[in-house]
Amino acid sequence: MTPAPPAADRLGAPPAPVRGGTLTSSIRSEVRSYNRISARDYPTELLATLTLGRLVRVNRATHDVEPWLAESWTTSADALTYTFTLRDGVTWNDGTPFTSADVAFSFQAVYDPSAKSVLRNSLLVGGQPLRIDTPDPHTVVVTFAEPFGPGVRLLDNLTIMPRHKLEAALAGGTFADAWSAATPPADLAAIGPFQLARYDPGQRIVLDRNPRYWRTDERGEALPYLDRLVLEIVPDQDAELVRLQSGQIDLTQQQLRAADVATLRPLVTQGRLQLLEIGVANDVDHFFFNLRPAQWARDPRRAWLPRREFRQAISHAVDREAYADTVFLGEAVPIHGPITPGNRLWFWPGIPRYEFSRDKARALLAGLGLQNRDADEWLEDERGTEARFSLITVRGNTQLERGAAVVRDELRQIGVAMDIVPLEANALIKRMLDGQFEAIFFVFGATDLDPALSPDLWLSSGSAHVWNIGQRTPATDWEARIDALMAEQARATDLAERQRLFREVQRIFSEELPMIHFAAARLYMGVSARVFNLSPGFARPHLLWSADTISVTPAGPATSQ
Amino acid sequence: MTRRASWLILALVVAAILGPWLAPYDPGRAYRGFLFAPPMPPRLVGPAGLQAPFVYPIRLVSRLDQRYEEDRSRTVPLPALVSANTGGTPVFLLGADSFGRDVLSRLLAGARVSIGVAIAATVGALFLGALIGVWAGYRGGWIDELLMRAADFVLVLPVLYVVLVLRAVMPLVLPASTIFLLMAAIFALVGWPVVARGVRAIIRAERAREYIAAAQSLGASPARIVFRHLLPSCGGHLVVQATLLLPAFILAEATLSYVGLGFPDETASWGTMLIEASNVNALARFPWTLAPAAAIFAVALATNLLLERSAIKLSRS
Amino acid sequence: MAAGRYLLRRAGFALLLVAVVSSASLVLVRLAPGDATAAEALEMTAEERARVRAQLGLDRPLLAQYVDWASHAVRLDFGQSFLYARPVSDLLGERARNTAVLASSALVLATLIGLPLGVLTGSRPDTIGAAVTRALSLLALSVPPLVAALLLVLLAARTGWMPVGGMTSLAAASGTWGAWLSDVARHVPLPALALALPFAATLERVQSEAVADAVAEPFVRAARARGLTYGDAVRRHAWRASLRPVLGIYGLIIGSLFSGSFIVEVVTAWPGLGRLMFDALRARDLYLVAGTAATGAAFLALGTLIADALLALADPRVAEEREP
Repeated sequence: MTPAPPAADRLGAPPAPVRGGTLTSSIRSEVRSYNRISARDYPTELLATLTLGRLVRVNRATHDVEPWLAESWTTSADALTYTFTLRDGVTWNDGTPFTSADVAFSFQAVYDPSAKSVLRNSLLVGGQPLRIDTPDPHTVVVTFAEPFGPGVRLLDNLTIMPRHKLEAALAGGTFADAWSAATPPADLAAIGPFQLARYDPGQRIVLDRNPRYWRTDERGEALPYLDRLVLEIVPDQDAELVRLQSGQIDLTQQQLRAADVATLRPLVTQGRLQLLEIGVANDVDHFFFNLRPAQWARDPRRAWLPRREFRQAISHAVDREAYADTVFLGEAVPIHGPITPGNRLWFWPGIPRYEFSRDKARALLAGLGLQNRDADEWLEDERGTEARFSLITVRGNTQLERGAAVVRDELRQIGVAMDIVPLEANALIKRMLDGQFEAIFFVFGATDLDPALSPDLWLSSGSAHVWNIGQRTPATDWEARIDALMAEQARATDLAERQRLFREVQRIFSEELPMIHFAAARLYMGVSARVFNLSPGFARPHLLWSADTISVTPAGPATSQ
Repeated sequence: MTRRASWLILALVVAAILGPWLAPYDPGRAYRGFLFAPPMPPRLVGPAGLQAPFVYPIRLVSRLDQRYEEDRSRTVPLPALVSANTGGTPVFLLGADSFGRDVLSRLLAGARVSIGVAIAATVGALFLGALIGVWAGYRGGWIDELLMRAADFVLVLPVLYVVLVLRAVMPLVLPASTIFLLMAAIFALVGWPVVARGVRAIIRAERAREYIAAAQSLGASPARIVFRHLLPSCGGHLVVQATLLLPAFILAEATLSYVGLGFPDETASWGTMLIEASNVNALARFPWTLAPAAAIFAVALATNLLLERSAIKLSRS
Repeated sequence: MAAGRYLLRRAGFALLLVAVVSSASLVLVRLAPGDATAAEALEMTAEERARVRAQLGLDRPLLAQYVDWASHAVRLDFGQSFLYARPVSDLLGERARNTAVLASSALVLATLIGLPLGVLTGSRPDTIGAAVTRALSLLALSVPPLVAALLLVLLAARTGWMPVGGMTSLAAASGTWGAWLSDVARHVPLPALALALPFAATLERVQSEAVADAVAEPFVRAARARGLTYGDAVRRHAWRASLRPVLGIYGLIIGSLFSGSFIVEVVTAWPGLGRLMFDALRARDLYLVAGTAATGAAFLALGTLIADALLALADPRVAEEREP
């Protein structure tokens, strides 16, 4: 349970970063597009991080906002207007200067319906687009429609695209299909540390150092250190692990499965691999019931199944330590809400807990009229209906399937029967969106750590408000209260005040328990020992978010196949 | 050879029929402290010299590394297996899986379902295939063409999608008997073209031979020609197909479960057990979780031996 | 010309098969639960989702969408992939060659392993060699393809005999044609072997049975009576007679080499069509699924055609039968 010591402790003092070398990573899926504004798949996002830039950047290790393509900014007294000063002398890799026109163009593309932007929703404040003014080539003025708690943090969502390459496409209405994966590298432009050198479909993406990258290290040396970054497309997680073991790749994009750690341990002992702990996961497995009234209107179980006490009984009935031991081989922390300790600013240690107690669970169920009235092991209500429900989960997701089995075994102990129905992911999502389910166990990401930037789970109208999706007006009092608190929290600009309001949201959530959470995994990554200057981040790309400062030992075991 | 084959077949039949009662543990029960526990080999020589069969109990040393240590200070006599469900230290003769469930118990408990589905599906596929193959081969002409194109169609159709569509219109929770029947039916419907093509080829070749013409000229009815003369010549082919289809169907059960048509996880089945064990960690560190592959091999071997002998008998008669 | 008419008719049927299979796939994907927007549904508002569905044509009735697609498909325009925002035909073009390389290598391998072993086990069933071969065949059929592929990948990684995956290495990717070819030749054995194993086992079993049948035939006994050794009788007569059932399943094998290749392609990172199809199925990428299914059907049709042609060569009666 002790955190792994930082790599430096085991490998001796890290050498000073040096220029040169190739880093090889794996990536699990094919790149769909180079156009980050109209595609949101992971490879597209990673390539945007590596080759493009943002005005400001959220540091994935410290969670702080840092100046990036904007060197500095000022905030107006009413916290509505932000004036950014762009960095001097920054150019795209083809030599075209980077100016405020690129920023204005990118916003224009985000809000233009013909561009089919996937970033639009994440760049609205109070449901309104931001207003962008560019008084001169080095200044961008961004105005929010209403005060917004996250402030400039919001702008981490915007990838800046080159106006000189894409202006014609946007004007011609073909922006959405522009920069498809078939685009020759020469037609792209880069402002990040790397530029695309070649893409072999199904095989690899090769990125070369961008010689015009603007950033230098503290010694004044030009970044990035690496000459080349290769992303080998390896769709299978096991094959990825084998390549990591045999030194053919230096790192992966995804965390290790708990069982992989032991497989890699010998290589760590031999000094060929380093095991990095990157913290507690932010994405957790959600267990939730269908709380749409329509689902239960004619169901004989309506008197108890959609009740809060029933969910509380389940929360009491599951031993979260045992859950963590079985599902994550002990590498997980028990949690009592969707916000995990991995989210430093917003995690609330004081959240009301449902401690493991079968007696309390049984008492809650008895309060609902559920008792064992016959010879079998299950409880029944007054009318003799068995305490039984179905849980849909994703076939092939080991973590979910194993977690569901643990919960089922725990519920059996208190006389509640749960039928696990593993379905293909699309079928599950369809049922979830249509409200055709009793209970679901599913994982989906909180896209951002700041609740105001990912309100969809909390707001009754939100797209991820999965227990009762698509509400026009809040269905219950407590959902209305959460809506109000979330709105207030988003408008507040004082962090402490926002945290207080969000704690209140979490308290209501925990009392009503629309979702039950059991454990959040502790994440590990395996990285070749030749890679150093790593700065593990809380979200994907866990390591390559800081690719410009990663370095490799010159004489490494860089085996190329 | 024959002797050993008979024993193998007998053992499998017993396992398939009595499996659930022979299983020392509840196949669905997860022992939480014993995830990936290694097999505990039965021993005869202990600290006190030769003694009744026993095992050394194991205990977890590191959970993340799944390391276990034998506790040499104690022994657990093997007959304890029988009353194992009453508590105490579990004895995993074939190790435990990723949930800490006894592999041996799951293997035994899964025998009936896995072998049952596969046999039902194989018989179905052979029957359909033989029927269609004979029909196509005997009649020839456009019927032949139509049936063989239908076979091609079935072969390239993305069957998983058919199942996905089917599954969506069925109730969420399906009883095991429904799953059993559906699986067998789907496999039979997917498997027949392979059989039919071979049968048709043989029938066409046989039909052209002199003795059929002779039979026809003697006024034998088509049914008599098919059943007395043509079908027996396909015996060898059907036997081979049976040995090919049976293991394939046992494995394919796991594929269907991917689109939501599978047995619940408490119901052990060999295909699903194997898919759960199909990863590098299992190959490198927990090979015992691949035990179902050995069981499927035993079934394939037994089928092969059994059917080959009956085919030889058939051809002699 | 009888052969010409025969070929023409077969080609007609092949086209029909491609059309029916791709249409059926399209319809099935539309009927299957969830659509192309499902994966990102939680990040979209209901209106946004409705808009994307409209853009993809998913809000239209199935029949209307199908007719539209079919009318384009007959002009060889297979539509635009939802996933990649690129024409389906471009994506298929990129991958079809790679799959053809893998599938044909696997076919050759399966033949080289399966047929000789089948002759051995069929003609001398009581030898130890035959027993071992038969056991190995059954073993190959009892192990899931995923496990076999993983084992080979592990073996390659431990021994360094072969690259652990991929089709080319980066160094050779920008080299000459010759360098590229030899690089692919270095990469292909691993996935080809993984793919070939179950087919080799199938061929061995079928060939074995066919030879066993053939040696029992009167003409083989007659040949032996003429003084040929058993081995010679097998080599000259029985072997040839046994080809028919084996060739009969070749078409099937070619078809399933294609559809069965996806697990091998995933594990060994081979950039083929199987992976593309799998991703398309998972993402409900309607037109891409239809396109990959059409390619699969074309592979099968071609396979059966080649097998039948070989059959006709091996046994001239087949072609005659076709003309009543």
